[in-house]
Amino acid sequence: MTLATASDTTRRRGGVRALWAGNPQAVVQRGLLAARSSSWIVVLSGFFEPVFFLASMGIGLGALIGDVQTSAGLDVPYAAFIAPALLAVSAMNGAIYDSTWNVFFKLNYGKLYEGMLSTSLGPLDVALGEILYALLRGLLYATGFMIIMQILGLNLAPTAILALPAVLLIAFGFASVGMAITSYMKTFQHMDWINFVLLPMFLFSATFYPITVYPEPVQVIVQALPLWHGVELIRGLTTGALSAGMLWHVLYYAVMIGIGLVFTTKRLRALFLD
Amino acid sequence: MTDATRTHPSLDELRAEALEWGRKPRARGSWYVTEHMVRAMRAYGWTIVVGAFGQPILYLLGLGLGLAALIQTDIDDGGQPVPYLVFIAPALLMTAAISVASEEFTYPVMAGFKWRRYFYGFNASPLSSPQIANGVILGASARMFIAVAAYYLFIWVFGAVPNPATGWISIAVGVLAGVSFGIPLMAYAASIEDDKGQFALVQRFIFMPMFLFSGTFYPLETLPGWLQWIGWISPLWHASELGRMLTYGSVDAPAAGSHLAYLLVLAGVGYLLGRRIFERRLAK
Repeated sequence: MTLATASDTTRRRGGVRALWAGNPQAVVQRGLLAARSSSWIVVLSGFFEPVFFLASMGIGLGALIGDVQTSAGLDVPYAAFIAPALLAVSAMNGAIYDSTWNVFFKLNYGKLYEGMLSTSLGPLDVALGEILYALLRGLLYATGFMIIMQILGLNLAPTAILALPAVLLIAFGFASVGMAITSYMKTFQHMDWINFVLLPMFLFSATFYPITVYPEPVQVIVQALPLWHGVELIRGLTTGALSAGMLWHVLYYAVMIGIGLVFTTKRLRALFLD
Repeated sequence: MTDATRTHPSLDELRAEALEWGRKPRARGSWYVTEHMVRAMRAYGWTIVVGAFGQPILYLLGLGLGLAALIQTDIDDGGQPVPYLVFIAPALLMTAAISVASEEFTYPVMAGFKWRRYFYGFNASPLSSPQIANGVILGASARMFIAVAAYYLFIWVFGAVPNPATGWISIAVGVLAGVSFGIPLMAYAASIEDDKGQFALVQRFIFMPMFLFSGTFYPLETLPGWLQWIGWISPLWHASELGRMLTYGSVDAPAAGSHLAYLLVLAGVGYLLGRRIFERRLAK
């Protein structure tokens, strides 16, 4: 009796230890080392996409549109309206690409995770390590973009600096869920579906115009999507229209991160350990 | 004795037989390669269908109708006032063709030469290297045609084609826009020996700026002078201008001629270059 219980507990303890060795930094370090051998210009180029969008839309459409009213009731120039949205979008895109394409290759072609998991690292180390590495890159892009916003005078309040941690929060949310979903994908063609999810979110999440142009039912759908919360959160911070309601956006992402991490760990465990 | 002659045909007979076998592929080689390219697309057939029908709806709803709610006054397009949706619809159609081109003329070409090496397989048969290049172009054009025709259908249904009598010609212009951007890109793709993420750079530093600064969302003149040159050299701007003339129904012959000529020159020069690169690389 007692013997059986003892062996049960050891097995269970072993199961937990197999998930987490407390060493995700090893995975981050590996990412940084690998980045050295990849083309730096490709890595750098990710920074330019939101900048091009800002320049094109801000200058061209800004001239046609003039001022736009934010959801907080502020009238801001069009460029100041879209800049925070582009920041949120680039956080989403960066996190999704890093946690889908990148992970897909390592999972199916590089067989990298099998190698990692045969060391003391567990699936949670791998998941967190990959996500932290993606966040590091996201932070770099976001800082660059914030500097450009500052130079162009699009940061309307000192609270804009808080957009940087907000970007990390958004990226964390998307990365943790993205990685879990990637673990289900077996071919390249499955990856295309990611774009079909991202594109409508990008176009409809109050990115280029206020959500009020839609009829009520459409607004409700948009408000259920994660990107909208990110856009609203960052826009609130850069325009300085803070409200207690913004905590809901933070909560949304906190829940998303929690669910994503549990989900990803389970999937990596199912793929490699069971 | 007679048996021996039957089992060992003379060299001339063998040659004649081989030439006979090769005659059809030699004559129709481009179409054989086209067939291969189109069949290969079935691997991602759903992507193509959903992309061809889903993307136009999203862009028209997202940018066309959404921004149109903000921009309620008409756009002054070269002296002609048009509603915003009518203004951006032809440009979005051309963008769709060019984005198909940026997919079909990059990775499949790289795969044919480097990853799966099927171009070398074709080349070992009686197919010539120019025929292989032709097949890639025709295969991609077939996909572009589907994407553009679907787009045209949608903008017509959305009421963004004031003049359908000439508007439908923009389908042909769309395919031309795709090849005028795609064929030079194919030549470049064929010249790449090592994949170091060049296509990601093309996407970010050529396709994206072209899409954003070619007067797609607003007349090119709205941009400051130092940014307008991007539009002048971009096939997207020339094609969009053509598409606008055709859908509005006000074709200005000299301007249309020069836009058309520019697109044709890009496609033509790209083709000559691409053919040479294909020939050289396959001869290696």
